[in-house]
Amino acid sequence: MNSSINLLSRRSFFDRSLKVGLGVALSTLVDIPFVMKRALAEGTMGLNGKKLLFIFLRGANDGLNSVIPIGDPSYVSLTPGGTYGTSSIRPNIVIPPDPLTDYTALGGCDSPVAGPNQSTYFYDKAIRVGNGFTAIHPSLKFLAPVYNAGDLALIHRVGYPKQSRSHFDSQNYWETGNPNNKLIKDGIFYRTMVESGLAQTNALTGVSVQSSLPLILRGSQAAMTNLSDPSRYNLKGIPNTTQGNAKADAAIRAALGSPAAAKINRDLLRLQYENMSNTLQTFEQLDWSENGNTFRDTAVTDDDTGYAQSGTGGYYLFPTTNTKNGGYSRTGGTTDTSRYAVSTGSYGFFNQLKSAAMILNNTDAVIAGTELGGFDTHNIQGSSTGAHANLQRTIGWSIYALRKYFSQYANKVDWNNVVVVTLSEFGRTTKQNTTTGTDHAEAGPMFVAGGAIKGYGKPSGRGVFGCHPTADSVPWITGPANQAGGVDGTMFGISDSYLKRSVDYRSVLGKLIRDHLGATQNQLNRIIPGYTNAGEQLQTGGTSTIDNTAIIGEPALV
Amino acid sequence: MTLRRNLFTGWCCLAAVFLAAPENPLTAKAAAAAGPPAVSITASNTQRVLKWTPYPSAQSYKLWRSPALGQAWTEETNGTRSGFQLITPGTNSSGFYRVEVQPLSSNALLSASILNRLAYGPTPDELERVASIGPQAYIDEQLAPEAITETFDSGLSSTNGGSVWLYGSAIGTYSANSLYIYLSSAGTSYLDDVRLVAGSDPTTGVNLISNGDFEAGFPTANWIVGTNATASAATTETAKSGTSSLKMVFSSGGSTFYNAIQFTNITGLTNGQTCSIGFWYVPATNSSLTVRLSGSGVQATPDTGIPGITFKLNNRAAAIGDLRAWHIQRAVRAKRQLLETQLQFWENHFVTQYSKSRDYFDRFYDDGNVMGWLATDLELRENQLWRNALLNPNATFLDLLRISAESPAMIIFLDTVDSRGDGSNVPNENFAREILELFTFGVDNGYDQNDIIQMSRVWSGWTVRIKDADKLNDPFAVQTTNQIVAGIGSTNSAVSNLFGVWGMAFRPERHFTNSTTTFTTAKSLFYNWTTNPVTRVLTRGTGKTTPARFGPPWAGSDYSWAAPLGNGTNAINEGYAVVTHLANQPFTEEFISVKLCRLFVHDNFAIGYDFTDGATSPEEELVKACMLTWENSTPKGNIRTVLSTIFSSDLFRGNDGSMQKVRTPLEYGVAAIRSLRGIDLNGRPTADTDGYNIATMIGRAGAMSLFDRAEPDGFPEAGPLWISAGTLAERIRFAQDMLLSSGKEYTATTSDPVALIKKKLPLPSQTDAAAVVDYFLAILFPGEGAGNLESYRTQGINFLNTADDGTTASLFSALTTNNANYDPRVRGMVAMLMTFPRFQEQ
Repeated sequence: MNSSINLLSRRSFFDRSLKVGLGVALSTLVDIPFVMKRALAEGTMGLNGKKLLFIFLRGANDGLNSVIPIGDPSYVSLTPGGTYGTSSIRPNIVIPPDPLTDYTALGGCDSPVAGPNQSTYFYDKAIRVGNGFTAIHPSLKFLAPVYNAGDLALIHRVGYPKQSRSHFDSQNYWETGNPNNKLIKDGIFYRTMVESGLAQTNALTGVSVQSSLPLILRGSQAAMTNLSDPSRYNLKGIPNTTQGNAKADAAIRAALGSPAAAKINRDLLRLQYENMSNTLQTFEQLDWSENGNTFRDTAVTDDDTGYAQSGTGGYYLFPTTNTKNGGYSRTGGTTDTSRYAVSTGSYGFFNQLKSAAMILNNTDAVIAGTELGGFDTHNIQGSSTGAHANLQRTIGWSIYALRKYFSQYANKVDWNNVVVVTLSEFGRTTKQNTTTGTDHAEAGPMFVAGGAIKGYGKPSGRGVFGCHPTADSVPWITGPANQAGGVDGTMFGISDSYLKRSVDYRSVLGKLIRDHLGATQNQLNRIIPGYTNAGEQLQTGGTSTIDNTAIIGEPALV
Repeated sequence: MTLRRNLFTGWCCLAAVFLAAPENPLTAKAAAAAGPPAVSITASNTQRVLKWTPYPSAQSYKLWRSPALGQAWTEETNGTRSGFQLITPGTNSSGFYRVEVQPLSSNALLSASILNRLAYGPTPDELERVASIGPQAYIDEQLAPEAITETFDSGLSSTNGGSVWLYGSAIGTYSANSLYIYLSSAGTSYLDDVRLVAGSDPTTGVNLISNGDFEAGFPTANWIVGTNATASAATTETAKSGTSSLKMVFSSGGSTFYNAIQFTNITGLTNGQTCSIGFWYVPATNSSLTVRLSGSGVQATPDTGIPGITFKLNNRAAAIGDLRAWHIQRAVRAKRQLLETQLQFWENHFVTQYSKSRDYFDRFYDDGNVMGWLATDLELRENQLWRNALLNPNATFLDLLRISAESPAMIIFLDTVDSRGDGSNVPNENFAREILELFTFGVDNGYDQNDIIQMSRVWSGWTVRIKDADKLNDPFAVQTTNQIVAGIGSTNSAVSNLFGVWGMAFRPERHFTNSTTTFTTAKSLFYNWTTNPVTRVLTRGTGKTTPARFGPPWAGSDYSWAAPLGNGTNAINEGYAVVTHLANQPFTEEFISVKLCRLFVHDNFAIGYDFTDGATSPEEELVKACMLTWENSTPKGNIRTVLSTIFSSDLFRGNDGSMQKVRTPLEYGVAAIRSLRGIDLNGRPTADTDGYNIATMIGRAGAMSLFDRAEPDGFPEAGPLWISAGTLAERIRFAQDMLLSSGKEYTATTSDPVALIKKKLPLPSQTDAAAVVDYFLAILFPGEGAGNLESYRTQGINFLNTADDGTTASLFSALTTNNANYDPRVRGMVAMLMTFPRFQEQ
């Protein structure tokens, strides 16, 4: 340990200590020695074991075909007879209802199990969620066990006022937590980590596993980490052998112990070198390669006893090769592509998701995440099968797998302490376009999962928000645009053609940052500027004065 | 300046820990001194431990002892020295101790600082050159780059026979007797004057390639044509010299003898002999040329070198990756280092974004390659204009600002391109805001939202247009009517079928004009306004005055501005008038001076000093000195004089500036190459890169995409953004990979520290672990001081004396330079030094 006192930082610490009493955001206390920042931070973020995993769905997910308002006759006709299953707004891409299902019946989520003799996604109709109005896309069938355990919240109609329909701008607004504001240049999760006081003291606080660090984790006071490939997170020795690597690592550690003359950046460098050194040791003990991808479902998945390894458990949780993709490998040495759990194009994504989950478990990272692209389905979107359906398979399987991973394999982090959240820059048009796709629109769904989520069946819990005619304070109005009394059906609430929002994405994220991660309200007000502005109604709900739209405020997620 | 010795006294049995009382940061303090090292002494029965804290840039520490005060001091040699402590046996009689610090000479300290700040880091040869001419001579030389000739910009291209010919060459060692020539993909190229000689200069000596000038037809003896190049033939269509050249026609890419054009049965060289190749070629349109000896001991890929990329850039056919590699290669190789670092600074200050320009061209073009080339060209052009401006001794900030405002890349980036003020259109505020917030005044420094709205009207109608090349600088020139006959585009009248250059245009019909009665108040900046509470109409009042904190000569002057009357094409003058007005306001002088001080000295300069409150600090004084220089130069804002003010300051020259900053990823990558880049005994560089590798690394080490930053505030300077556990790992991997000789990830980034040793150290020292480590410590950490590098030195010597398993002893002195363990041992030690924290600093 360096016994010399850094004279510069002690002096400026005394100098700035006054600011703390004023509750100034930690991001402005630039001269505070890093080790002091945690002591000055409010709240319990990073100290209570709570973690967040985010998945950004880039391209804008078509919410109406994911979380389906099947009880809205404008979406699809449920009238028995010749018109059953027809849709005037989506003639080619509507998700067909099942005539054998009563979607108004209340209960849990249906779970169409394939068993050993059918293809995984044999069931191609809308799956009844059980709140009497909502269904989900058949490719989301693996959400059913999560939903029925009460660990899932489907939040529909999420957006923000004066929504932008530019991918570039709207993704930025979601990531900065500041809609229609081009001045804020740092990310909402970055600010969350700075407020925690751990941003420069911990090795990893916010981590992304994708090609480059996303805006949601970027900021100028601290460097969050993006690992394009966690197997890159080890150093090379010369020669590049195990012994050579060990010799190089040992040398770096030995050199850190010596004191140095005081210079402005030396504390930061020493701290981050130590962090890196500690994290390297952790990473080296984990197997990031295909060999290390051994996480499987505990019991037989999807009742598929015909799966080759069903005697020892279920499907692999993170499909990164064909053989680890669902029930592809059959007993008797044969293979069957109809038993895939996810499309083969998502192997790279699952590699990243696996890494993000392993990082949350094995390091001090509080927030980790990755991204999934391809949602911009302007052309030939498909319905029960097709481009959009494949993406839903990835979403459904991801949430199912993460729940299993954190419940069964994550020895340091419990599923009850993890929340998984999806983000997407906007939803898509209610009506299909001339190329059987959909275009940019406004509100869409967020999927929020975790052991602590107050979902279906839990005390004062429910699994669906924003998709019911009476359950929410902002009801779903069924029917077309321009009804009596100047009312539009919810699916036509904007410009007579787009789904109108009923919850602001900041309310969802704010609720999670405060009540799950452990920020104080003061911290949250700094993390999401303007969070308590009276006009916006983000906390309590009401009519937003920005665009006269009624929103529900914070949903009761945790 | 003479050496200074600093003597500090510690009292036996008194723990003399010097803790500075909390100071008021505005109190004046001496510029250079950084406080004495704290000295502590602990004593027990068996030993006394004397500890002190490191002193900046200490070359050595000496301990002095005196049995009683008033008696003579003698140097203490009893006891064990390690790190910053001395352990003496307790059986010594008691006495008094002093620590003497011998710092680096001020010249040595300044030399390290200037090579780390004016340049992208020292090279071994530049360190020697600056040591001999002195740092001030280097500063003066770099402040006049027009007097320095860049060799990589000249002599390597030539127009002959109606074609532009480029020169390619390579030096290496001979290992096999065939020469392979091939393109990377299908394409046509011309080749002439192929030479292979012994030695390192391909232009002299006997040419071992017969008919290398193709005057005798093709193929002649020893020339063999692969199956993918059978259409190749000698031609008189064009030639570099003589009448003939070789027209190479490849139907697919090549890699080795059977899919290349070959010259075999070379004689006259022996294995291991130094040889070199040289040739002239006309670049193929979409593929790159390789000329190499089999065995790859000598290999030339000139299309990825500076002349090759320059050719593509000049033809507006370069991708953004090419521009990045070109920019980085210049940073590594340039003699005009200050020009290159200044270019990067101004490029990063006046931020534009390649992707946004590319997106804009998506409106007109379908071909992704073409969109990329055009967007790259916009980035290059503003870069070239700044370069040419900075080569002029009279360059001012206004010159640079004006170039930015006129740049099509800027017009697109900040949405001015669609901004209209005619009819009910509301002009876009983006550029008006950022030009104040980021390019001139700094955040909230003398302006408010009203000024942004007012100024946004000035820029309405500024847009871009594709014009005839000779009308590039005429903002009123109409769209070109030259149509491309074939190639790009679907219909003849579409923009994508036009041949021209995208340049700035002004559309007066889109400009915000107002009735003449309210004209003067609709574009008024920096006035006080009053709002009628009932009608909510703004009424213009008096002009704002510069705040008192600036002091003389700025305080209290009226800095308001209103657009002169004028409409139609004259209205373009409003933009120029605004730019002229903003460029030399005290707010601008302050903001830019602070940014330059942060670039060259350290990160802790603030905006908003009160120059009149009687309390000051060295930082505040330097900012004010820069502002005064700016104000007093004629015309105002001469860049070189402001830089000179910084380079002459005590802050810059002393310990308060030295080693206080962290290298950005770009600076780190370039400095890593430069630090080992000498010239070996064969005339080859001992470290090299293609630039593309470094562009990849800096993308990983913090998302530093050159020319493509989405946020207009530019890549940051300060350490905390760049340094985290993950980004450090990427930097360190790069340095280690650079030193690897095989199994590399960054395959085109190479180094040869053994070759450097053989050039620089006498033979006996080459196997002396201490001598080798001392040499590399001196070139890697020139500003740290040998006295503070003892732990690195110990690590280095241990590394050299240990086998690869990390534990078995293996004396370095027992090796010869040809021993199989010598090269990896040296490489490993150098890599280790470069992974240490000091190498992240500048």
